[in-house]
Amino acid sequence: MTFGYFTIYSSSYSGFLLNESFWDNSYGKQMVWIIISIVLGSIILLIEGSFIQNSSYVFYLIILILLITVLFMPAVKGAKSWFQFGGFSIQPSEFAKLGCSLAFARYLSLINTRTQNLKNRLTAGAIVMVPALLIMIQPDPGTMLVFIGFVFVLYREGLSGNFLLIGLFAVLIAVVGVFFKASGSFIEVANLTVSGNLFFGIILVIGFFVAFLIIKYFVLPRYRREKYIRLIVVSIVGISISLSVSFIYDNLFKERHRNRFQIMFGIKEDRKGDGYNIYQALSAIGSGETFGKGYLNGTLSNDKFKHVPEQNTDFIFCVLAEEWGFLGCFAFVCLYASILIRMIMIAERQRSKFTRIYGYCVTSILFFHFMINVGMVIGLAPVIGIPLPFFSKGGSAVLAFSLMISILLRLDAERKVVLR
Amino acid sequence: MDPFQNRRWVIILIVLSISLIFSIRLLYIQVINKEWAKRAEQISYLKENLQPPRGFIYDRNKELLVGAENIYDIYVLPIKIKEEDSLKICEIFKLTIEELRNKIHLASSGYNAPYKPSVMFESLSKEEFAKISPLLSKVEALEGKVKTDRGYPLATGAHLLGYIRRISQQQLDGFRANGDLFYSKNDFIGITGLENIYEKELRGERGDANYLRDYAGNKVETLDKNPATPGKDIYTTIDGGLQQLGEVLMQNKIGSIVAIEPSSGELLCMVSSPSYDPSILTGKDFVKSYKLLKSNDSLKPLINRPVYNDNYRPGSIFKLVQSLIALQLGVINTNTSVVCDKSKIGCHNHEPPNTLEKAIKHSCNPYFLEVYKRLILSKSFDNYFEESRKGLKNWEEMVRTFGFGQPLGVDVPEEKGGFIPNVPFYDKWYGKKRWAFSTIYSNSIGEGEIGVSPIQMANLAAIIANKGYYYTPHLVRRVGEDKTSNLIRNKTCVDSSHFQAVIDAMHLVVESGTGRSAQIDSVKVCGKTGTVENKTFNDHSVFIAFAPKENPKIAISVYVEYGTWGSKWAAPISSVMMEYYLKKELSEKSKLKMDLIKEAIILNPKSDFTF
Repeated sequence: MTFGYFTIYSSSYSGFLLNESFWDNSYGKQMVWIIISIVLGSIILLIEGSFIQNSSYVFYLIILILLITVLFMPAVKGAKSWFQFGGFSIQPSEFAKLGCSLAFARYLSLINTRTQNLKNRLTAGAIVMVPALLIMIQPDPGTMLVFIGFVFVLYREGLSGNFLLIGLFAVLIAVVGVFFKASGSFIEVANLTVSGNLFFGIILVIGFFVAFLIIKYFVLPRYRREKYIRLIVVSIVGISISLSVSFIYDNLFKERHRNRFQIMFGIKEDRKGDGYNIYQALSAIGSGETFGKGYLNGTLSNDKFKHVPEQNTDFIFCVLAEEWGFLGCFAFVCLYASILIRMIMIAERQRSKFTRIYGYCVTSILFFHFMINVGMVIGLAPVIGIPLPFFSKGGSAVLAFSLMISILLRLDAERKVVLR
Repeated sequence: MDPFQNRRWVIILIVLSISLIFSIRLLYIQVINKEWAKRAEQISYLKENLQPPRGFIYDRNKELLVGAENIYDIYVLPIKIKEEDSLKICEIFKLTIEELRNKIHLASSGYNAPYKPSVMFESLSKEEFAKISPLLSKVEALEGKVKTDRGYPLATGAHLLGYIRRISQQQLDGFRANGDLFYSKNDFIGITGLENIYEKELRGERGDANYLRDYAGNKVETLDKNPATPGKDIYTTIDGGLQQLGEVLMQNKIGSIVAIEPSSGELLCMVSSPSYDPSILTGKDFVKSYKLLKSNDSLKPLINRPVYNDNYRPGSIFKLVQSLIALQLGVINTNTSVVCDKSKIGCHNHEPPNTLEKAIKHSCNPYFLEVYKRLILSKSFDNYFEESRKGLKNWEEMVRTFGFGQPLGVDVPEEKGGFIPNVPFYDKWYGKKRWAFSTIYSNSIGEGEIGVSPIQMANLAAIIANKGYYYTPHLVRRVGEDKTSNLIRNKTCVDSSHFQAVIDAMHLVVESGTGRSAQIDSVKVCGKTGTVENKTFNDHSVFIAFAPKENPKIAISVYVEYGTWGSKWAAPISSVMMEYYLKKELSEKSKLKMDLIKEAIILNPKSDFTF
């Protein structure tokens, strides 16, 4: 059942893409990639699950070698991410996600690996970090970000929830910090004008102090010590993040990045320069209104008009939004959510630890793609180049995602064979 | 069992919450907030105005007075400029990089935007455009667009036709504020003359077309198209040949010629001198030429003297009006005799004015002083001041029926009306009861405070030719296919029976009186000379006439500033004009006359001489 479920989905999604991006050249290429994907996917379905499991590290190593060699390839659009073969090009970073998932699952499923163990944690982290860093060098920050998704897997496998919370906390502080930096606002407090960022820092310190007082007066003495340590760790992390955000914003970011953040927070409206993409994208999405303009009737994101840049790759969601309207988008979001949840359920019903972890890896990767891509297009996240799985044009991505899914299906099909 | 099994719910919860956030955001952008949909329309729709061609202007014989000339505007689309293009553009137009940078900056700021083409160079002539067009095709960002400017095949009638120019921002804002959305930037608009007064008819109606455009502004799909309605052609009453002749005759002179067809009020010509070739106020050189005409020429060639110079004193031609009013009131009759008493007012030597006819023939000043006295003062001599007031009021009212003292209603913009002195005027000037007939008597011979425009003088000739009425003079017969209904008949206060004597006298003026230089072979001409005093330099030369005496076809007024006396320049000029109009050609004698007139330079060395 699941077999058909996903194959149909993957192909119908891809088919959907074909019709959406109705243009000769890319249309043909994409078709070829889809056929390759289906063929390879079918072959994988015939392979023994244990073979996949055993060759995980080999695959991982191959990927690492490819990621290193690709750095010596000529740059396309400023990033050394592609191997060119005639008319086709292959992006190894797409396959890196797959290789990484396999190796990650393989390592964590070893009988003596414990997520509570610091050494094991660091090894697992390294498995993810090495390809992520190589991708960072290319540079391809979008794909790199996806690797953060592996935190979810670790969490599922027993990593303390505090890491997620700290992560969330860190993101929150970073976002607020960047917001204050970007707005460059000054806040007047009792005749003293302080920069927004400093103000935020002061608020943080006061917050920690209040938390300290709360612990002192409301927590039983025997727990206090433990809470104090936590509070101190959180405070240090919080303040250092806010300071480093400030530092990064001022020193490492280029004007372009700063602009993007400013646009995202709505501090600046820039129709022509750095805000052009998102302005056009939002216009296209907004013009879909409730029911959309109808299939192939888009006037902004359609290939004929190209008002939305990258409309067949990163901004493909605009096409869907414009032509199918809110109802289509809502259906799409529901569909994506249900696929993700479905995959979690598939992962959860495994007896094999490897398959379960692998399932979570794939889910997290898809989820991150979905979250960042759609979030970016609808103006909730900064603009980062990242494809929408099964929608965006791009052979490597289609192939990699198809392989991921087919491997998961193959392993799922064997779930009853495995005892543990 | 797996102790962390329940953590799946946390992850599912995260997935669901992200999905929910996305859905809400999408709901907001797509359904609730309509702002983005509006912006999308702005991005993808391209509305193009289709410009109608401006109507042409023809003369009474359907000869083209104003036609079209193609000019070219060069548009630039800043976002399409590539690096290597800038050098090419500089080469084509011979610009420095700095100048180009400025132009591009202008084309992408303010009302212009980089993704919208805007004018970089305007009004290139056909020849200039032909030179650069092959180079132009190499630069994608540039585009030449044809625009029609005015062309003048006959190069005549600059004043009455008027000129057009690109609309100013002020005018544009004004029209927009009044809800007239016709104009857009770079459009032409009629400023003076017929171009101005018939602007609405000439300009036509704009069409529009809606397109879907792509990111570079290319039209990809046409949504609807609504073609423009061309401007209506205007058929004027002007005789192109006569107008041209008039301009030739008046060259190097200041003044005007106005000719009217008495039976219809149609203006046959309206010459203002100094004149200029209307085509210099077109195209690229507009600004340069305009400046030259407007401020660098003391003769003020832009002023349309026949209509706007309404402070001309009419001189002796006004004696005709005095005679007619006096006859109507019965204060004189055709046989009234007056002694030519030069004590009060100067006169030349002539046979005694024992009839009205002789008085007009010799333009006897004392005679008309007496006539005016009889008009203003009744015989009772009760109260000198009161009498004068009453008399002047009555006189003014009667004079006004001849079309003086108010605009005639000619189809020119903001026509001026001249001035007939009245009671409030003198009251203000001298004070009540501080003036009487003895103060204002110079009005009797058309001097004093009377101000009349040349068109009103010609109209006077037409009134006499018609024996008592006139049709409002007009320039346009037909707009497009619709006949204009401006044939308005106006009656004077004088009965037609009184006119014959004056007409006979005017005939005598030309036959044997002061206006002998206006004679035309085999045509009976009726005319009256006028010599308007000028203290600074030579007197002005005035002449009004109509011909033939029976069933008149043309009534004319000629005003030559500094022309010394009426018969010297104004009378011969009108004879040449009338002969040309009546016979369609000039006799040998008249050609000689014409050459003499043509070569004469009559300018006031004290104020006008610019050489």
